[in-house]
This record gives sequence, structure tokens and C-alpha cells, in this order.
Amino acid sequence: MRQLKTRPFPYYVGIHSLEELITRDSRVCVVNILGTESRKVTPVSHAYSGGNVVAGVQYGRTDKLETPLGDIPVYPSVREVMKRGHHFDVGVIYLPPSAVAQAASELVSFNDALKRIVIITEKVATRDSRNIRFLCQEAGVDVIGCNCLGVANAWDHVRIGGALGGDHPEETLRAGSVAIHSNSGNFTTTIAEYLRTAGFGLSTVVSSGKDVYIHFALAEFLYAAQNDPRTKAVALYAEPGGYYEQEALRMIQERHFGFNKPIVVCVTGRWKKDLLKACGHAGALAGSGDDALSKERWFDEYFGTPVFDPEHPVVSKRGVRIPSIQAFPTAMKAVFQAIDEKPDFAAEGDLSLKLWLRDTLLPLPEALEIPLVTPLKPYDEQLALFNKQVGAQFLRQNMRNTSGASRMDPTTQVAELNGTSILELAERTLEENIFFALARVKPQAEDVRRTNLLLNLFLGLEAADYAVVERARAAHATPNAYLAGVTAALGDPPALRRVREHTRFLIDTIREFSLDEQTARFPEALDAHLAGRLFAPETPPEEERLAVLYKEVRAGARGNIVLRLARHALETAEKQGVHLRDPWTFLVAALATATFWRPLLHKRLSRQTVEDATSYLQTIARMVACSVIDRPHNKRWAALTQGDRTARLTDSFTENAFWVLFNRAPNDVERIEFKYLIGLTLTNGPGTLSAKGAKESVSARNHISMAFVGFLANTGLSHGGNGFEAVEYLLERFRDTGLKDPGSPDHGLDLKALAAQAAKDYAVFKRDAKRQGALRVKPIPCINHPVFKGSPVNIDPREDFIRKQCAERKIYNVFQEWYHRLVEELFHQGVTPNVFCVNIDAVLAVISLKLVWKDLQDRTLTLAQLQELVFDLFLFGRMVGVAAEIIDHRDRGTDLDCRTPLGELKFVL
Amino acid sequence: MQLSGLKYGAQLLQLVDFPVPEFLTGGAASGEIQAMLDRHRRLVVKPVFHVGVGKKGKAGLVRVVDSLPAALEAKRALYFATHQHGTQTLRANGVTFEEFVESDIEIYFAILESTRRRKPIFSLSPWGGVDIETLGPDKLAHVWIDPFIGLKSFDITNALNDLGCPPRYISPLVQALPRLWDLYESYGLSTIELNPIRIKRAGAGYVPVACDIKAAFDQDNPAWRRAGLPPGIFQQDTSPFEAEINQLRTYQGQSDVLDLNPAGTILPFMFGGGANSAATETLGDRALFTSDFGGNPPYEKMYEIARIALRYHLDRANVLLVIGGKANNTDIYITFRGIFDALRDHAAAQGRVAPVFVVIGRGGPNLIKGMVYARDILDSLKLPYRMFGYDTSMILTLEYAKRIDEWWGREGRRRYLETTTS
Repeated sequence: MRQLKTRPFPYYVGIHSLEELITRDSRVCVVNILGTESRKVTPVSHAYSGGNVVAGVQYGRTDKLETPLGDIPVYPSVREVMKRGHHFDVGVIYLPPSAVAQAASELVSFNDALKRIVIITEKVATRDSRNIRFLCQEAGVDVIGCNCLGVANAWDHVRIGGALGGDHPEETLRAGSVAIHSNSGNFTTTIAEYLRTAGFGLSTVVSSGKDVYIHFALAEFLYAAQNDPRTKAVALYAEPGGYYEQEALRMIQERHFGFNKPIVVCVTGRWKKDLLKACGHAGALAGSGDDALSKERWFDEYFGTPVFDPEHPVVSKRGVRIPSIQAFPTAMKAVFQAIDEKPDFAAEGDLSLKLWLRDTLLPLPEALEIPLVTPLKPYDEQLALFNKQVGAQFLRQNMRNTSGASRMDPTTQVAELNGTSILELAERTLEENIFFALARVKPQAEDVRRTNLLLNLFLGLEAADYAVVERARAAHATPNAYLAGVTAALGDPPALRRVREHTRFLIDTIREFSLDEQTARFPEALDAHLAGRLFAPETPPEEERLAVLYKEVRAGARGNIVLRLARHALETAEKQGVHLRDPWTFLVAALATATFWRPLLHKRLSRQTVEDATSYLQTIARMVACSVIDRPHNKRWAALTQGDRTARLTDSFTENAFWVLFNRAPNDVERIEFKYLIGLTLTNGPGTLSAKGAKESVSARNHISMAFVGFLANTGLSHGGNGFEAVEYLLERFRDTGLKDPGSPDHGLDLKALAAQAAKDYAVFKRDAKRQGALRVKPIPCINHPVFKGSPVNIDPREDFIRKQCAERKIYNVFQEWYHRLVEELFHQGVTPNVFCVNIDAVLAVISLKLVWKDLQDRTLTLAQLQELVFDLFLFGRMVGVAAEIIDHRDRGTDLDCRTPLGELKFVL
Repeated sequence: MQLSGLKYGAQLLQLVDFPVPEFLTGGAASGEIQAMLDRHRRLVVKPVFHVGVGKKGKAGLVRVVDSLPAALEAKRALYFATHQHGTQTLRANGVTFEEFVESDIEIYFAILESTRRRKPIFSLSPWGGVDIETLGPDKLAHVWIDPFIGLKSFDITNALNDLGCPPRYISPLVQALPRLWDLYESYGLSTIELNPIRIKRAGAGYVPVACDIKAAFDQDNPAWRRAGLPPGIFQQDTSPFEAEINQLRTYQGQSDVLDLNPAGTILPFMFGGGANSAATETLGDRALFTSDFGGNPPYEKMYEIARIALRYHLDRANVLLVIGGKANNTDIYITFRGIFDALRDHAAAQGRVAPVFVVIGRGGPNLIKGMVYARDILDSLKLPYRMFGYDTSMILTLEYAKRIDEWWGREGRRRYLETTTS
């Protein structure tokens, strides 16, 4: 085959001088311009280069890319770019590897004026790279890459392709007289930075890539460097693999082209010579003749000098090989002296160890102790700024149908909340799970204590709120409806806003004054800072619960910097004879911040969540308070929510919630069963209606309380009602059995016979229903499951887990045992094709019924109340999981991100 | 991703109907071996190595046998034979019993990518069966291939004629060899080497038979999966750590790791091919593994990588090192968040913080934000650290990490534990 050749090369090279490789006149089209990488890099390159990107391609889309110099138009194909009259001579490809060769072909096919293609993509198959070379050689197009960061011309302020010089190319790409060719994109910038410390700037730099095919290789680079009047010397970085360097030096030595500029080269990768598989760049493997040692030898022979020794710098006019990249500045200096040239500008800094950040934990031996230095500009200002920040930060993204809080394992059907299985969470108390929903970590003892205090503090209810509940009940509204009514009215009251402001103040103060647990003495300036913000001469109004808060703040101040700071504020106010301007909100803020301080430092939760923590706790407590079943007779509820409420502030919130629903204290077994009920309903993943309701409300930028309303509005009888259906069914089957205690294995009932009768009754019901032409027969609640089916004997692992846990603890539930007999009997009587599973909903039903069985028998609980109670139980668990969902969506989501795209909408007749 | 020998090589060659000798694997019963001896009179017994290693004949690892006892003795001797390859000692895992192909000529043939010519080339010699490096240019031809056409018959004919191949063998080779381009091109190969191809008489004609094969696959070309080779054969030389990290391999961000020294004490997160090369060289055998996590990995990938690396190596490490030059496009904040979130979660899962000294030398976008993030996590875990600015030499940082490593092993860890537990 004949081949296009440009002398002195036996192949096509369209670049005579580095000066012309890319210039201010180069015009660029970027393919996959809106891809993740390009979206960030292209605007910076475009602005740095004076606006040289004329258009972009994003397959299938017409769009634009915003840049500081205006929008770049984006078209669905290269053909379309050309059709729209855009002219370009450089194509840049950012596509995934499998599409790169196609894009190169497209660029070549539709643009006769194309001169260069820069391919950023890594992991392009060698076959594709080879085909790109053949294609472009035939078309007379130069290729840079693949797997590279492109090219930059520091004299003309042009950067094409990748991100050489990072976000601020002007910092690194200083004009000067050294040209760089580097197998490593990162080292292209790093070498430029190093050279700058000795006063050397750049002419043109090329990140060559380090795949098997290097399309713009050393030979043509050196040829172009020789012809570039700006370039006085060349800096090279080479790695094992390929004979490119040997070929370039051979062409020089055989005088295929003249080259008399010095080269400083660093070859690394001796360690790769024994490898039997590639690592990092496509390096030489064992046994080949292109390993690092061979490359070092090629250069040493060319230079005629040994490797550079900074202590005794000897170089030739041809240059020198350096042992590591840190020798670039000194070696380049020596080389410039050898050719009687001067650096481009005064040296800027040096490469000595500069310690920017260190711990204060452990003193090191003198030889290892390096003094801390202030980072150079603008990093010093950034450090001051970021020092004030604390907590996790999340990338904003579309969170529709997406969650960082919950997920459902499709195989086990066990949902996780904040990375922990609900089966594990079902072993924890309500307050522990509330803390966990917010903090994403298990609480420590003092966290639980403070969480209880804060929750109980908000367990109040205004008379007006209860009027809403009563009116809704009278209108047969479901519990979610009246909870929603009260919750919606919560809004974002001034007190909560002040708590948030205090929280912000506490966090800012701690960061600004660099306070932590190790702080031995508070700085003097702190007192004035506190006084200016917190103190007032007036005595604040008396409040019954303030004393409890003062006590808690003082008691917890030993190990927690937030409470230490709060106590210090109290003591300073006392000393100065003044008072806290707003003690209630300040103390609540201090306690809430202290509660979540550890996970905040561990970056488990965002600062916003800590600021909002009180809102979450208040909303949850208010919903629990509203759920009282038998208000007139529930004295504990009255004590908790009205009148003197200081007595029970540090009680377990689980205990109080149990009282609200059942009007009695739980016994040890009931305490466990109650935890199961709450834990198992925490979440069912982000696809549930309840989670979606809350997420959509956040997406509409509602207050936290309204996000809970979104959740409440999206629950209904199919949630709590399903549990009630099962309870009703069980009641029907056990009504006349004389069962006294469902928790006693000595119940005296013949469960097998009861189950057999139920199976028989269902068989008759099913037969009759079919005879009457019913297409779908109403199933028995809580058996069978769309995933756990099809085996001879089916088990829902979640139900099985709880059953085993109960067995281990010797907790018996007659209804659950009966359910297991029932599924067997249904199979034996031919009603079901195999033994159906007893599903997780049954656990909720059997525990609920067991908890109220005595009350029902005593007629202290009506069926209507039971229905409410079952619904409330579901809401109690789910509201905690939903809190995590709301936090997650507020942290990560964007406004209106829950909208359904037009393309997914359907219209039906 | 390499294979050598006929055990799997035959499967590959049969994809393009390239003849191979009849062979049995090491598990063959004595009766089967005897039956094969009856058919072919002589057998070649070779050890099975999973990577492409050469010079087996020279090392005495190829035996020609003509009796069952000799075959079984060769199996015993070669089944777990070791072979020195560079500085590495490889161990065989099995043998093959191959039909001895009578031939008065041995052909060498290979296809590979030539970086001298930036083209695929084929290398051909009718003087094969020997170390190819020993052949002079009069006995070995290198001819470039047009990838859009493939191997051209006239190129093969001309090369064989020039090299003095007996004319009677030229036609069968010209018919058979072009198929190897189809194999090379269609199944993601980056090298294929047949040495020797022996030519056996078949009726009135001749058939070239590939008696040994070495092949390497391009792991960036998914076409290798089409060959239907058992995927396990490429995993046998991969450590569990490498295998787990390899599963994260996508085009977004590098995730290359290679276990280096299980007794190493520095756990290095290296960023960029250059840093990978320079840091591995500087750290020497202190590094537990070598890595390249550059290329702006997304948070999820970086977190997973770090989680795996910490699980495998943290308990053995004195120093956790994060090293790279001044990144161009890798978001330092994202990568640091991934690493240090994983460190925090690792400690939470273990219920304890592994005592380790953290050294960081890095530059790039969002550097300070990333460093502050790392600092906050390390402070909360009460781990000691030093972070150097990008205006520090990477090599000096590496040297410093080595000094910390040495001190930590000697007394630093003890002093740290005393400080934190007091």
C-alpha cells in the first residue's frame, strides 16, 4: 500500500514547528462536549484560549454549553455542525472508548479542513487506536493521544483538549523557552510547575498519552521543537514500553533531521521490568527490550554523559538524563548554562518540603518535624475559608427515584436505612433510630439521653392542634390526615429559626476560634464575641423547663466542645452580670448541636442537617403527640403534653410513645415487640409512596414540616389499612376461641384445627367467588409474596428473622404460629399450589393484635381505635425513615428535580 | 491477560480453523495416553503456565516421550515445574500431552503492534523453534500489515521466498497464516506468537500445525470475551485484592493496582501514571502495592477502591500515603472524600481505628477543600498526619513518607498508642 509521507518522516506529519501545533487561530469542535469531563474542562479551555471552541457535538441533542465567554452551540452530529456553517480545524474527542474510532472517522469524513484530532479518552482498544492512525494518516490529519490531556501553547494562551494546568491554566502555563513532551498528563503540569521554580517558562507542551500507539510521538515532537524559534530546550518524561524514543534518537543521529537543542529527560519505571502484566500506563512487560533501563541507556548514549547528579552537575550540550523529576529545575539550569542561555524569569520558590497541614496529636522526632508554612496564594485564603466549614458535603444532583438514605435489596427484600438493614434497626429503640436517621451513625449513651430530652421537650400540643385532630376524627379522617393538618400548621416558626441561628453561631464560633476537645483555655477575644451576640441586660421571662436545660448543658460540658462553649457563655454572662438574650432557643440549639457534633465532625451529616435537627425532632415529637388514641383517659399523655412537663423530660421516648398509643407502660416483652414494629416499617426503599411524597415536597422547596406532610399525604389505607385488614382477619378467626393471653404458649387452643377450618372456609369462599365469575379472589392478608414464592415451602426471610429472634428470647405469639399452620393447611387442602410464605406484614399484624388483645377483650379499646392505632404504628416507624429521606433529598437534590420528564408521560383514552 | 500453551490456545486457534496437534491435559487416564502413543508414536509433554513465558525448551521443560512410563515420569517432573522469568519464579499447574508432529521445518510466526513503525506487523521465519532473538535479519522478516485488508498472501509468499523457505511449504502457509489476522483482529488480541508451526504431511499435501502458542489480549478491547475462553484463566495470576479492584474497571478513572510486597508497610494511593511510576520506584519494597487511581474517578468509585484497599492492607501499614503531582482534572476533594470516608467507615465497621500515619502530597483542583476534608476526618479519628503542598517535590514527600514509615515501625506506633490511650 502506498502511504502519504512528509519528509523527513516515512509517514505523514502535518506539523513543521511546535509554534504552529495549536495557535490562537485554531478553531475547535468538541465531541461529547456535555459529557462529565468536558462539561468542566471545556469552558476553562475556551475562556483561556480566547473563545476558540466554535461548536460541540452531543449525539442526539441540540443544546449549548455555558462558558465565561458565552455559550458554545451544541449539535447532534458533526455533519450538523458543518451544516450550520461552523468552521474548525481541530477536533477534540471526549467519548467513551468504544465510540472514539467512530468519532475520529466522523470528524475526518465531514470536515475536509480538519488538521488535528486530540483524543482525551483513556482505555481505547489498541485495535481502534491503530485504525485511527491508518485513517488519519490517509486523510493527512495529526492525532494527539489517546489517553492524554492535550496540548497547550503558553505564548498564545491556547489550550486544546484536556485540562493541562487544571482550573487555572494561566498559573502553570507561563510563557518561556522550554517545550515539554510527557507520557504522563499529570507530569506535564507537574514538570511545568517544577521548572517555574527555577525561572523556566514554556513554549508548547504536549501530553502525549502512553498507550501502545502514541500518535504524536517523540520524533515528530523534536523535529517540530527544532523548528520552533521560541523553544530553547526540551523537557521529556518517558516511561517503559515502546521504541518511540529510540526511533527519535536514531533519526537525529542518522541526520534524518537536524536537532541541536538540549533535552532534559526523566525515565521512570525500572520496577516494571519484572512485571508479567501491565499496570498504569501501557508499560513494557518483562522480556521486552523497551524497559526503563533500555530507555535510560538510549538517552545516556545520546547525551554522552552519565545521569545527572545535582551535587556535581555535569551536562552535555545535548542535554542530560535526570534520576527523578525533582531534578528538572537544577538540570535545566545547568543545561541552559551549557548553551549560554538564561532562564526566562526570576526563580519562583523551590521544591523543598512545605508542610501545609499537620496534626497536633503526636510530636515527632526532631529529624522528622517539618515547620508548618502558610500555603501560597490563593490557597492561604481558601484554607481560612474552608477552616470554617464543617460536616459532610454532597454533590447536588437529580434525586428523583434516587436516594442516598434508603435502598431495597431486590433479592432479600430487606430494606436498608443509611446503610443498615432494618432487621438490625428493629433491635433499637425509637430514639436511637431517630438519632440514626439524622446522624447516620449509632448513638452513644449521651446522644440517646439528649435525643430523648429534645424529643420529650417537643412532645407538647396546643389546644388548637387538638381541636384539628378532633374535628378530623369526627369527619372520619384517617390518622395521616389529621397528623398532616397539625404538622402543616407547624410551618417554620420564629423559635425554630432562632434555634437555627444559634446553631450557626455556635458552629461558626468553634471553627473561627479553632476550638476543639483539646482546647485547654478559651481565647480572651471569645468573651466579647459571645457577649455581642448572646447577652442582654434584661432578665428573660421564667420558663419551667429552662432549669432542666441549664442542668443538662452544664452536666454535659466536660467532653463536648459545644456544651463547653455554651457553659462558658453562661458563666461569662454571670460574671458580667447580664443574661442570655434568648436562653430557651440558645440552650436547645446547644443541646441539639452537641448531640450531633460527633457525626458532624466525622462528616456523616451536613451542617444543614445539624442546623435543622431541632425542626426534625420537633415535627416527629409533634406527630407522636397527636396520635394519642384515648385522650380523655390517657393521664400520662396529659402529663407529657400539657401542664408541668418537666417531670418526664429524660424518659425514653420509646416508652412515652408507647404510652401515647396504649395508655400504659410496656412490659419487657412488649418493649421488644414495639421496637420490632417500629424498626420493620422504617423504610421500604425510596420507591415507596411515602418516601416519594416527602421527596417531592422537598423538591418543591417546602419547609421540613411540609415535607413530612408530603409523606403523610402519600400514606393511606393501603398502608396502615393493610395491617388492619390482617388484624380484622385474625380477630374474626380468634373471636370465639376464648383466647386469654396470645403471648402464652399454654393457650390451650388447637391451632392446627383452627387453621384447617380457616383454610376450608377460604377454599369455599374462593370456589363461590369463582362461580360468581370473580376474576380475582380476595387473598388472605399477609401470606404469599411476589419474590418469595415458587418453592415447595416458601419463607419470607424477614418474617423468619423476627420469628427466630422471638424464639431465642422466648417471646411467643399465638397469631404468628397460627399463620404458619394456616399456610400449611392451605397447601394440604389444595388451596395453594405450595406452602405460601407468611410475609413481613403478618409480623406487624400479629404483634399489633397481641399488644391490644387484652384491651379489646376488656372493651377498653374499640375497633375504630384499633384501626387508628395500627395506622399510627405504621406512621411512627415510617416517619423516622422518611426523616432520613428528607435530609438526604435536602442535602443532595435540586429544586423541582422530582418532575417527570415529558418523554415519560403517557396519555390514555 | 495472557495465555500460553495448547490447553486454552487450541480453543483459540480452532476459532479460525488453524490446525493444532491432538493433545490431552494432565488429567488424562493412562489408557488415553497409551492410545495417543499408539496413534502418534511420540508425545510432547509440556508444563502449563498461565502467562506467556518463553524459552521453556531451553529450560528443559519440554520432553518428548515414546512410552507410557516415560510420559508419566515427564508428567510427574513437569506438573509443578518452576520457571525463572526475569526475577519472577513461575510455577506450572498441569501438563499437556501433545501429538509429536513430524516435520522437517519449524516456522516462527507472530503478529504484534510495532511501536517503531506504528503499525501492526507480522514476523515470520522458516527457521523457527528457537529463540527468535538469535535470528539475524536474513532469517526473520518483519512485514507491516494494512489493518483494513489484513495479511496479504503476496507479503507472506515474498517473505518466505526471501528467507529461503522450501517452496513446497509456501502454499500451505499462505493458505493458513492469514486466518491468524482474523483471530487477532476479531478477538481482541494484542500479540499472537506461534513457535513452532510444524508442517505435517497430509496425503499429497502439507498442513501447518501450531505446536505452541503465546497470546496476549488487550484488556481494553471487549472482543476477547467472544473467544469463549474460561474467564478464570486470566484471574489465576491475579491476587484477590487485584481481582476485586479490577471489577471496578471502567473508562472513568483509573483503577490499576498490582500487589508488590505483602511485607510492605506503606499503603499508597497513587494518582496518575507518572506518579505511579515515580512513586513505585522511590518507595521500592516498602509499598504494599502499586496503583494508579488518576483520571478523575467519581466519588463512588474512589470510595469503593479505598474501601477494598483498606480492607486488604490497612492492618499491615505503617503509613497511608496519598501521592500525586498537581492534578489537571482530577478533583482532589472528590478523591479525598472517597478515601477518607472509606477510612472512617472502615474504622466504624472494625470498631477500632488502625494506627497509621497519613502522609499526603498532592496538588490540583479543590486541593484545600480536599485537604481540609481529610484533616477533619483524621482529627476525628485521632490519627497523625502531615500534608504537603503541591509546591513540594513529590520525590521529597515520598522520601519523607519512607522516613516516617521507618520511625513508625521502630517507635512511632508505640508512642502514638501511648499518647492516644493515656
